[in-house]
Amino acid sequence: MDLIGSVVVAGLTTGALYALATLGLSLVWGALGMLNMAHGAMLTLGGYSAFVIVTRLGLPMPLGVLASCVTGAAAGAVIYLSVARPLLARAPETFETTIMIATFGVAVALENAILLVFGGQPFGQPVQIAGTLGAGGFTLPNQNLLIMVTAVLLMLAIAAFLKQTKGGRAIRAVAQNREAAELLGVPSGRVYLLALALSGGLAGICGLLVSSITQLSPTLGADPMLKAFIMCVVAGLGSIPGGIVASFGLALIESFVQYQFGARWGFPVLLGIVILVLIVRPSGLFGRNQVRRL
Amino acid sequence: MADALAIQDLVSGYGARDVLRKISLVVPANGFVTVVGPNGHGKTTLLRTLSGLVKARSGRVVAAGEDVTGMAPSSVARHFAHVPQGDMLFMQMSVEENLVMGAWLEADRALVAERLEEIYRLLPKLAERRRQTASSLSGGERRMTGIGRGLMTGAKTLLIDEPSLGLAPIVIEQVYAVLAQLKALGRSILLVEENPARVEDLADEIHLLDNGALVWSGPPKELLARDELLKTYLGG
Repeated sequence: MDLIGSVVVAGLTTGALYALATLGLSLVWGALGMLNMAHGAMLTLGGYSAFVIVTRLGLPMPLGVLASCVTGAAAGAVIYLSVARPLLARAPETFETTIMIATFGVAVALENAILLVFGGQPFGQPVQIAGTLGAGGFTLPNQNLLIMVTAVLLMLAIAAFLKQTKGGRAIRAVAQNREAAELLGVPSGRVYLLALALSGGLAGICGLLVSSITQLSPTLGADPMLKAFIMCVVAGLGSIPGGIVASFGLALIESFVQYQFGARWGFPVLLGIVILVLIVRPSGLFGRNQVRRL
Repeated sequence: MADALAIQDLVSGYGARDVLRKISLVVPANGFVTVVGPNGHGKTTLLRTLSGLVKARSGRVVAAGEDVTGMAPSSVARHFAHVPQGDMLFMQMSVEENLVMGAWLEADRALVAERLEEIYRLLPKLAERRRQTASSLSGGERRMTGIGRGLMTGAKTLLIDEPSLGLAPIVIEQVYAVLAQLKALGRSILLVEENPARVEDLADEIHLLDNGALVWSGPPKELLARDELLKTYLGG
């Protein structure tokens, strides 16, 4: 019984992390039609920022959390201003392709910059809470609980932001029909900047959380980024709630498969599910059947 | 009082081709002006150029006395309520969210609520549907939502692109009844329409658009008797 409990805890924890990574990725994908290949690198940056603040500079943990969020948001803003905006201005019709290649370049550059500064050896993430909660045979490490609670709170906050605030409504409007939003006075450039900064801030915190149960390394963000991409495809583009459901569902399945058949079967099974979903529903489980264009 | 809209020698187009060739027209304050012409002759391009979605190549656009030529759409927005062709609604938003998006530039929440009530009075069908997602509406309800969203901007001048497109005749009548009300309420309207008969009783002035140029202008009653009309629509 306690074994099943641990498998569920592991599944929900990775699910929460996948969901956070997916939320950030699909926010920008939906709003700009931009697949940000540097999303994983923003996660890595966030993890290392907290490490620098807490371990290297000896500052308190909350500052480390703040640093990971701010660094991620800044990276998102810089990527918009220096890469996405010029590409969008010059050739909007090929943007969806060029931005993938350009941000892939950004990802490689960032990963190697981190390798250069910190070296390839892994570090431990100092921002975490030790100890476990337990009752009967069931134990729940505090850090896993923290990850789940943080992820859920962040998702609720983003949902409220998108639904209730002017900036959030503008992001949704631009995502659904950019020209119509502009006709109503929404400056789409500023909305894109906002979406990328928001996505970067989420990525920064997500990277911090991921590194807290693994390790800091220059390729830290690669796996969550890949999983987030898979979740977006399974859920269908543009469906943020769908992405979150897919994240938890697939993470639980992955966790059970790893427990039952061994860790190496987790990823192949995940990919198998993706292939099945795409055969049965090419636009994803929650996707809209429509062509998106910028 | 300045004219709601004055266009001088406006040229615009896509790629190497000019679509509009030196268009000039004026919409006086509280005027109802219509541009008619067959499909593919530049009606939609005209409205898109006025709103800045298509860059003007030469000529001038003056809105209520202010030169808005070459401005970004989001800057022109406070002058024009552009109700685009095919509605371009925010399909995953509710009717009310669509309407509220119309007042995006308005910071005063009380004023937004007041406008919303006005829209619901003018278009009661939308009040019934306020919580419904735009994608679940019928064609006529979508058109009304598009018009309502335009009105929510509070802009005095309406640019309306083929409000009858794709609707059943009875619904087209309802849409035009709303436009007549708007005229009575003192809005200035530039409407583009394929069928001149629809605006016969409504428009103060009508312009015939043939291959990107205005070939005839005058009161609607006279247009129906002119040779130019047949030439434009049937060639010759």
